[in-house]
Parts: sequence; C-alpha cells; structure tokens
Amino acid sequence: MATEPRVVSAESLPLNLNDNRAPLWWGMWGLIAIEATLFAALLVSYYYLRHSAPEWPLGGIEEPELLLPTVNTAIILVSSVPVAWADRGIRRGLRTRLAAGWSVAVILGLAFLAIKYVEMSSLAYRWDTNAYGSIVWTIIGFHTAHVMALMLKTVVVLTLALRGYFTESRNVGVQINGLYWHFVVAVWIPIYLTIYISPRLL
Amino acid sequence: MKETVNYQELMRVWRNPTGLASLTLVNHKAVGLRYIVTAFVFFGFGGLLALTMLLQLSRPGLSILSPYTYNQFFTMHGTTQMFLFAVPVMEGLGIYLVPLMIGARDAAFPRLNAFGYWVYLIAGVTLYASLLLGRAPDAGWFNYVPLSGPEYSPNVNIDFYTAAISFLEIAALVAAVELIVTIFKLRAPGMSINRMPLFVWAILVMSFMIVFAFPPLVLGSIMLQLDRMVGTHFFNVAAGGNPLLWQHLFWWFGHPEVYIIAIPAFGMISMVIPVFARRHIIGYLPVALSLLTIGLVSFGLWVHHMFTTSVSFLGMSLFAAASMAIAIPSGVQVFAWVGTIYESRRLLWRTPLLFSSGFVVLFVLGGITGVMVASVPFDWQVQDSHFVTAHFHYVLIGGAVFPLFAGLYYWYPKLTGRLLDERLGRLSFWLMFVGFNVAFFTMHYTGFMGMPRRVSTYMFGRGWDTPMLITAVGAFVLAAGIAVTLVAAISAHTRPADAPADPWGGGTLEWATASPPPPYNFEMIPAVNHRTPLWPATGQVGPADTYYHPRDDQRETIGTSILDAEPQQRVLLAGNSVWPVLLALAVAITFIGSIVTLVAVPIGAFLSFIAIAGWNWPREVGA
Ligand code: HEM
Ligand SMILES: [Cu+2]
Repeated sequence: MATEPRVVSAESLPLNLNDNRAPLWWGMWGLIAIEATLFAALLVSYYYLRHSAPEWPLGGIEEPELLLPTVNTAIILVSSVPVAWADRGIRRGLRTRLAAGWSVAVILGLAFLAIKYVEMSSLAYRWDTNAYGSIVWTIIGFHTAHVMALMLKTVVVLTLALRGYFTESRNVGVQINGLYWHFVVAVWIPIYLTIYISPRLL
Repeated sequence: MKETVNYQELMRVWRNPTGLASLTLVNHKAVGLRYIVTAFVFFGFGGLLALTMLLQLSRPGLSILSPYTYNQFFTMHGTTQMFLFAVPVMEGLGIYLVPLMIGARDAAFPRLNAFGYWVYLIAGVTLYASLLLGRAPDAGWFNYVPLSGPEYSPNVNIDFYTAAISFLEIAALVAAVELIVTIFKLRAPGMSINRMPLFVWAILVMSFMIVFAFPPLVLGSIMLQLDRMVGTHFFNVAAGGNPLLWQHLFWWFGHPEVYIIAIPAFGMISMVIPVFARRHIIGYLPVALSLLTIGLVSFGLWVHHMFTTSVSFLGMSLFAAASMAIAIPSGVQVFAWVGTIYESRRLLWRTPLLFSSGFVVLFVLGGITGVMVASVPFDWQVQDSHFVTAHFHYVLIGGAVFPLFAGLYYWYPKLTGRLLDERLGRLSFWLMFVGFNVAFFTMHYTGFMGMPRRVSTYMFGRGWDTPMLITAVGAFVLAAGIAVTLVAAISAHTRPADAPADPWGGGTLEWATASPPPPYNFEMIPAVNHRTPLWPATGQVGPADTYYHPRDDQRETIGTSILDAEPQQRVLLAGNSVWPVLLALAVAITFIGSIVTLVAVPIGAFLSFIAIAGWNWPREVGA
C-alpha cells in the first residue's frame, strides 16, 4: 500500500536558536577544547621541565613575587561577573545592561593587562635566561595574547551592541563571546597556581 | 505532496561562483573536492620522492642523491604523506560525504571549511617551495631535537618545518570542530546516534582525536621555533631544557595520528563491505564501540615510540601492554568484516570490494608486526632498521591507502557522476597489491639483516643489495598500479556523466540524491527511521515517509538534537565569502612570515583580527 509521504514545512520550526542548541555554541566549545588542550600541554611542559631540573626556579632566580599577581587574579576573576550579568540581560532584551556590563568587563581586562605589563617588566630574568624563564614567559605570553584578543573581540561585539544589533531573539554572538571570556578567565586559575603558588608549595 | 520545491530559488541561493570568484565559494562539496584532489597531488609528490630514494638504494654505492638531499627527501616524504596527504584526504572525504550521509544541505560552518582548505594549501606549497630551494626540512618527519635545534641545524631548513607544521595543523583543527558540530547538530530528523552510518562514526572519532592530539604538536613546533629564533631554552640541556620534552609532545600526537588516519579508513571499509556483500554489517554496535575504544586507548600509547630512551621500566611495561591491547578492538572489526563477507549469499566482486579485502590482509600483517615491535626487547633490536619502515608501511599503505582506494572506486560516481572502469580497477588493484608486498615484505628481511633506515647508501657485501633491488622493483610496480587508477580517473571524464544516483545499490543517504549531488544536496530532508534508509524495511515504500522542507530562498537546513535527532530548529548556513581566503593569508603572514622576520607575527595577528571581524560582521548592520 503505497501512501504518499508526508511533508512537514520547516516554517513550523524556529530559526537559529540562541542557547546551547545552537551550532555556534558547540563550535565555541570546540575552540575551547582545543585551547584547553594547548594550555594543559603548556602546564605539563612546565612540570616536566621542573621535574628534570636540579633546582626550581633555575639558576638562582627568586621565587615569584605574590602581591601584584594575586591582585591581578582577583581583577580578572571579577571581570566574569559583569559579563554574566550582561548576558542575562540581553536574553531578556535589556540592551543598556548589555552595553554597561561589557564596558565594565573591558575596563577590568585592560587593568589586568596594565598590571601584567608592570609585573613582567620588573622581572630580573627573560625568556632567554634559562628554561625556567622560557616556560614562564611563554605561558604568560600565551595567556596575555588571549586576553588581548578577547579585548579586541569584545570591542567589536560592543560596537554591534551599541548599534542595537543584539535583541532578545538574536544574541548567540553575545553568548559565545561570554563563554570564551569565562574560559580565558578560568584558564588563568591553573596558570596562577602553577607559576606563582606551586614553587612555594612543592 | 502539498509543498512545492522552488528549484529556481534553490539554485540561485546555493550557486557556486565561477572564475576568480570561486575563491569565495564555501560549499562543502566544492571544498571537500579541493581537499581530496590537493591531497592526491601531494600523495603523488611524496611517492615520487620515495621512488627516487629507492632508486638510490637499489644498488650499493650509487650517487643519484647526495646524503644532504637524501635527508631532505625522506623527511619531505614522511612529512608529505602524513601531514599533507593522509590526514587532509580523510578530512576532505569527511567534509564531502558527512553532510550527504546525514541528510544536511551543507556543513555547520561552511566558511570555516573554506578557511581550513586555504591554510592547508598555503602550508603545503610553502613546504614544497623549500624543497625547490634545496632548503627542505631534513631532520626526519618527527624532527627530533637536538638535531633540529639551533646548534645542529642552524640553517633555514627546520624553520620551514616548524612554521609550516604549526600553521598547517590549524586546518586540521578547524575541520575537526566543524565535522563534530555538523555530526552533532545537523543530522536528519530521526537519525539517532545509533543509526549513524559507520563512516560518520569514524569521522566523529577521528575529529575528537584531532582536537586532543594536535594542540601539543602545535605547541611543540612553536617551542622549537622559539628556541631557534628568540633564544628560549626548552630543549637546550645546557640551560635547563630537556630534549625528551619534544619527544613526549610529538608522540602524544604522533601515535594517535596513525589511528587518526586509520579510523576513517576503517569506516570506509565498513561502508563498502556491506553494500557488496548485499547484507547489513555484522555487529554494528561492536564496530562503532571499537572505533571509540581505539580512539581512547591510542592516547595511552605514545611512549612505545620511546622504548629506546630512558623511560622507566614499569612505564615501558604498561605502555607495551596497552600497545598490545589495541589489537582487541581492531580484531573485533576484522571479524565483523570477514563475517559479513562470509555470511553474504550474493557477493559482488567489484573493485571496491577487492581493495577492501586486500586491506584486511595487509592490515592483519601490519598488525602482527605491530604487536611484535610493541614488545620492548624486540623493539630494541629492530629500532631504526628497515623492519620498522616495513611495519609502518603495512599499517599506513595497507591500512589507509588501500581503504582509500576502495572508497575512491566506491564514491567516485557520487563525486563526479562517472563510474571508474572496472577492468582498469582490477588491474590497478593487482599491481598495487603484488608490488606493495614485493617491496615491503622484503624490507622486513633487510631490516633483520641490519639495514638501517634513513641512510643514503650502503657498502657492498652486506647482503642488502639483492633485497633492496627487489624492493625497488616492487615499488615501481606499486607505482604503476597507482598510475593505472590515475588513468582510470582521467579517462572517466571522456565519457558523459551518466552515473545513476545509486549505482551500487547503497543503503545510506548520500545515494538518495543525484550523482553528482546538486549544491543544496537535498531539496527536502528525509526523516530517517533506520540505519540504511535506502534499503527500506518490509512494508515501507521509499527512504522515508516524512520529509522536512526547509526554505528554498535562503541557505537553510534542519538542526536536530544530539542523541535522538529530534528536529529543533532551522539553521541558517553561511554563504560564499571572500573572508576565509583573506584570513588564511593573514594567518599565513604570522606563521610563514616568521621564517623571514619576527615583525611578521604581530602584523599578521592584527590583519587576522580585521579579517575575523569582517567575516563575522552581520550583513544587516552594514559596513
Ligand atoms: C607510495 C609508496 C611508498 C613508498 C615506495 C615508500 C617508501 C618509503 C621509504 C623507502 C622510506 C624510508 C626512507 C629511509 O628511511 O631511508 C619511507 C619512509 C617513510 N614513509 Fe613511505 N613510502 C610510500 C608511501 C608512504 C605513505 C602512503 C605513507 C604515509 C601515509 C608513508 C610514510 C612514511 C614515513 C612516515 C616515513 C618515515 C620518514 C622518516 O624517516 O622521517 N609512506 N617510505
Ligand atoms: Cu605508535
């Protein structure tokens, strides 16, 4: 009994969902998985070099200073709050909240970069001093490059937001930018523990 | 059907631009085809390098290649076949076939696909430019430090390796993410995860492996480049560095790499055999689980490439055991394939099945020598000899090239609308099969007799000259076999493109649309209710009894849930754009430009930022 197939018009389905069902959202998780693997490999390399070194830090370098990096860690951790707040806002269509949240976050990010610059320029060793210098500078350099990229990216999203591009029903761009922001913040925690805390503890 | 398809609109929306504008096209089939063709071109180059090497080794004391050039040749051969051929060709097939097999109109991120292709092309061209300049990498495809470090390789050769490899792997990584998301989110309604074709399973596992295997390789290359260019000391013992760090980073990638190549090949075999055996594959679930298991376990094996380094004995034993354990999931698949052939009542002995059977034989042989070298004392004996070269060519050529040819003969009509000539196919298979075994089986023997790999010549009276001559003859027969397939592929285009949609009676969705498929793949998306929709269950009429019709006037496809493939949304896919090629050029300035001057790095990074912004800038907002 050959029946005609049924045809469902896809108009009945919504166009481009904004939440964790959006392909873009999964694509961002893919990027995060790649980058997390990269950072993990960096940290493993740090411990591997340390494991085969006679002393750590190498060559009589002092243990890292704690005050400035700890303040900076607090700053970057806090920057996730306005981001989350802005994200929630735009899901309810609150555009000013979006712009305000992102602006605060960018200011915190710039503060982080400035303090990082002060800290690094006062170090007594460089990347070419020895393997300890190489791995520390490389890890910090990688992370700093991420924060800088994040700033640039966010400025673009902010421009779009100010032009009123994002709405209640169109905000997946904001959501995935926020996701990436939280990742760059979160990945700082193991870096901080490795570079600043672990030489004192282990 | 009540709904009517507006073909005019479909064609307008999905048209591929031609001429210079084809730089902007993003369609997964066009990009996939570019990947496949480019990869085969590199395969040819790599093969020519190998033939020249074997000519040089066919008699003792020849001087066709100087030792310096020989080093470049084997390094470029290995680098080409692994990085520029094997991985890209599998990705290319995935990019081409996966959306068709899962009933989507395109991949999830078409522009990312196009970007990845340009990165791949630029990296490959850079490597071959270095060969033409006589400055190609020459420290072996795994590029060990300290040989490749600033002290022992001060010249530019290795800079080409580090820059091109870290750049190239961006292509592999974006393709992997793109394939994962496509498979997760764009499957036709009803194609739940346990109804996916096995090739799609294989591509999924391959992509996940790439995501976790390649970043450490990228990092290792960048570290080496820093050591060479800005004076860091990662691998410099004198300043507290450690050369074994390179080996760990490399083999963390390098061992899974073999399976990154082999798993899609297994997937192809699991598609081809059932069609020519005219029955469902035996053990769909165990086969899918074996793919997953191999993917996982292969990350626990990297140290078996380092048995001759100072790894601890307990460590070695564990890695040796794990290396042998991988034989189990591989064995499960072999039983499924052999069983499916055995249980067939109507075997169709066409070229794809021939290559599949050849693969099973060679793969079992390569697996046996693999279990042999996985035992530590044995490995100590044959390390760096031709025995190892023989082993990994059984795995790589037997395990990946033969399946690839099976897949090529099987899907060629889908890709081009033309069937390959059956007689040429058989001839090609037998030449390749015989030639390959003559060449590489002999190498096991030469290796046992002590012939080391990576030497440009050897002296009389070692007993190596006759077997090396046999190997060279075998390699030329193998090359002739490959050339016959090339002839078949070209001559097919002298005939009209008249292949039917489903010339082999295949059961999966790629055969439901025309050969070659229209740019939009499907005008309507079938709701799938079992694993082989084109082999309908009794009582069912066609491939589906429900179809979903996305809009025809924009690039739309259906998005579904991850496990059960419940329809959730219409997904709007990106269209043609010039930004992917521009971004690839900008990133190339960062990576490739760094060979010349480090100033290129920030310049390229800034240009990349502009390109990314341009790429993502929504059209509604205007410029
Ligand atoms: C087309 C037929 C091929 C022939 C005749 C061939 C021949 C050879 C020979 C003679 C060597 C050893 C050079 C030496 O150690 O002195 C070699 C090395 C190698 N081959 Fe092949 N090969 C072929 C295809 C492939 C394919 C398809 C792959 C991978 C998918 C591959 C991967 C490698 C690798 C990784 C090396 C090691 C390079 C190194 O030592 O750095 N080959 N090949
Ligand atoms: Cu291995």
